[in-house]
Amino acid sequence: MSELSISLQLAWHVVVRNWIVYRKDFLANISPTLADPALMLTALGLGLSPFIGQINGLSYAQYLAPGMVATTALFTAFFECSYGFYVRMTYESVFKAMLTTPIGVREVVIGEFLWVFIRAGLMALCVGVVLLFMGLIANPVALLLFPLIGGFLAVPCGAIGLLAASYVKNINQFQTVYSFLIAPIFYLSGVFFPLADRPVLAIIAQISPFYHGVRLLQMSAWNAWTPGEIAYHIGALAVFSASLGWWSYVSIRKKLTT
Amino acid sequence: MRETQSTQNGATELREQLPVIRARNVGKLFGESKALAALDLDVFPGECVGLLGPNGAGKSTFIGCLYGAVLRSEGELSVFGHDPAKHARLIKQRIGVVPQENALDEGLTVRENMQVYARFGGIGKEAALPRIDELLAHMSLDHKRDSPIKALSGGMKRRLAFVRALLADPEVLILDEPTTGLDPTVRHLLWEKVLAYRQAGKTVLLTTHYMHEAELLCDRIVILNRGTVVDAGAPRELIAQHAPGFVGIFAKEDKERLRAQLSSGLELYQQGWQVCVRGPSLQALTDVQSASSTVALQLRPANLEDVYLKLTGQDLGDNE
Repeated sequence: MSELSISLQLAWHVVVRNWIVYRKDFLANISPTLADPALMLTALGLGLSPFIGQINGLSYAQYLAPGMVATTALFTAFFECSYGFYVRMTYESVFKAMLTTPIGVREVVIGEFLWVFIRAGLMALCVGVVLLFMGLIANPVALLLFPLIGGFLAVPCGAIGLLAASYVKNINQFQTVYSFLIAPIFYLSGVFFPLADRPVLAIIAQISPFYHGVRLLQMSAWNAWTPGEIAYHIGALAVFSASLGWWSYVSIRKKLTT
Repeated sequence: MRETQSTQNGATELREQLPVIRARNVGKLFGESKALAALDLDVFPGECVGLLGPNGAGKSTFIGCLYGAVLRSEGELSVFGHDPAKHARLIKQRIGVVPQENALDEGLTVRENMQVYARFGGIGKEAALPRIDELLAHMSLDHKRDSPIKALSGGMKRRLAFVRALLADPEVLILDEPTTGLDPTVRHLLWEKVLAYRQAGKTVLLTTHYMHEAELLCDRIVILNRGTVVDAGAPRELIAQHAPGFVGIFAKEDKERLRAQLSSGLELYQQGWQVCVRGPSLQALTDVQSASSTVALQLRPANLEDVYLKLTGQDLGDNE
């Protein structure tokens, strides 16, 4: 077997380990990722829709819908890779034992990315199904794309989480990362309002991987595709995934080996 | 280091094979401080080698270097002929490690924990369960198979960490303070298992603070201090070299009276809160005892602890 296939197989074992731990507390684990978008959609989408005119021919709830899928992916990936990873690393010393087995830091990190890809993908699908039933998705085929885009979006968001986990000095500092990085990304990436009329924000948003995922999800949910734009956002997500993924690997390696 | 060499010459039948672990001039810097410095060490197949040394002497750092958890700053190191900084996985496929912390998955049951680790060790699903059950029974943990880790006592957790290390039937077992904090019953059980493992021709490297444990289990002791090897040899050889004979332990107040009666061949030194007299025979010690009208707290053959305290500079020598 080649190096890569051995690595991937070992990384898969890390995914399985995470799944076994995760399913023990399934309801608690799944609740925030599903309840938050549902509440947001009810409060903002259904609550505000009557007061807000149409946006690009969409009701506000329809406008908001794909952003909820992206939000699920962002929070699933970020919290799993920041708090989740940090707790496993620091309080549970999971890696102290894991790294004495054939698993190396590379497999740990690849395993984390696979894990959040799958989790975020599944969550995106679940949210998508809810949206479909609420009649908020113009194009049912989009439902097939949600898990893919959601999973893809989870990789750079997870990498930000891992970077946070490798740089914070204690668990409280995640609050700072959340307030000054994740919250702005979440609120200002086109989920709640179109960036087209806000040139400065529109430019800043380009450096947020989340924005590119939001756009891809919006295009699929609204069935409003622009080929050039698709390629651009996929490319940007790929670049963010590769660069942030590599950076987080290097930082975690420093953290787990001395 | 003349002693080390003579010791190594003594065990020639081992030296004909290639060492499993070979360290030459290994150093590790943590910022400015040297955790390991010019460390030379060989571990041969079938040997049990014990690393002794004060806290911070570099024992765990060295062990971490062996499977790539710690990257050495200098020197040559090979395990099964592989450099752990480059090919850690090839090494880790063939070793079992009991780390200082058990690091078990608290949320999972005993069996689930082992299933996860069997997968990591490349054991197929069908082979894993019988292997796990066999080892759990071996460590008298079979009745706890479905308990969550939280429900286990410290001794049970430690035994489970042993099960985990043995899952993939490793050629070398690395034990970092295997019995620290355990009650004597569990300690004896673990010693028995280590001896049985050795009997199968396997190799063991362990660190410990218990001299008795080292003397009982190890063919060879390596004493580390400040990141380097101070001396190495079979336990009896080390005792014969550094602290031969018998030791009497007395109360501090007896020091002057003992000194007055000290005959030649006897050595008096203070060791923390106690005063020790070392001599060639038990008779010589009882003679001093009656001549000085003192009563020893203990009269015993010299052991590894005397060697350890002497070599690691923790006997605050009276005659220095």
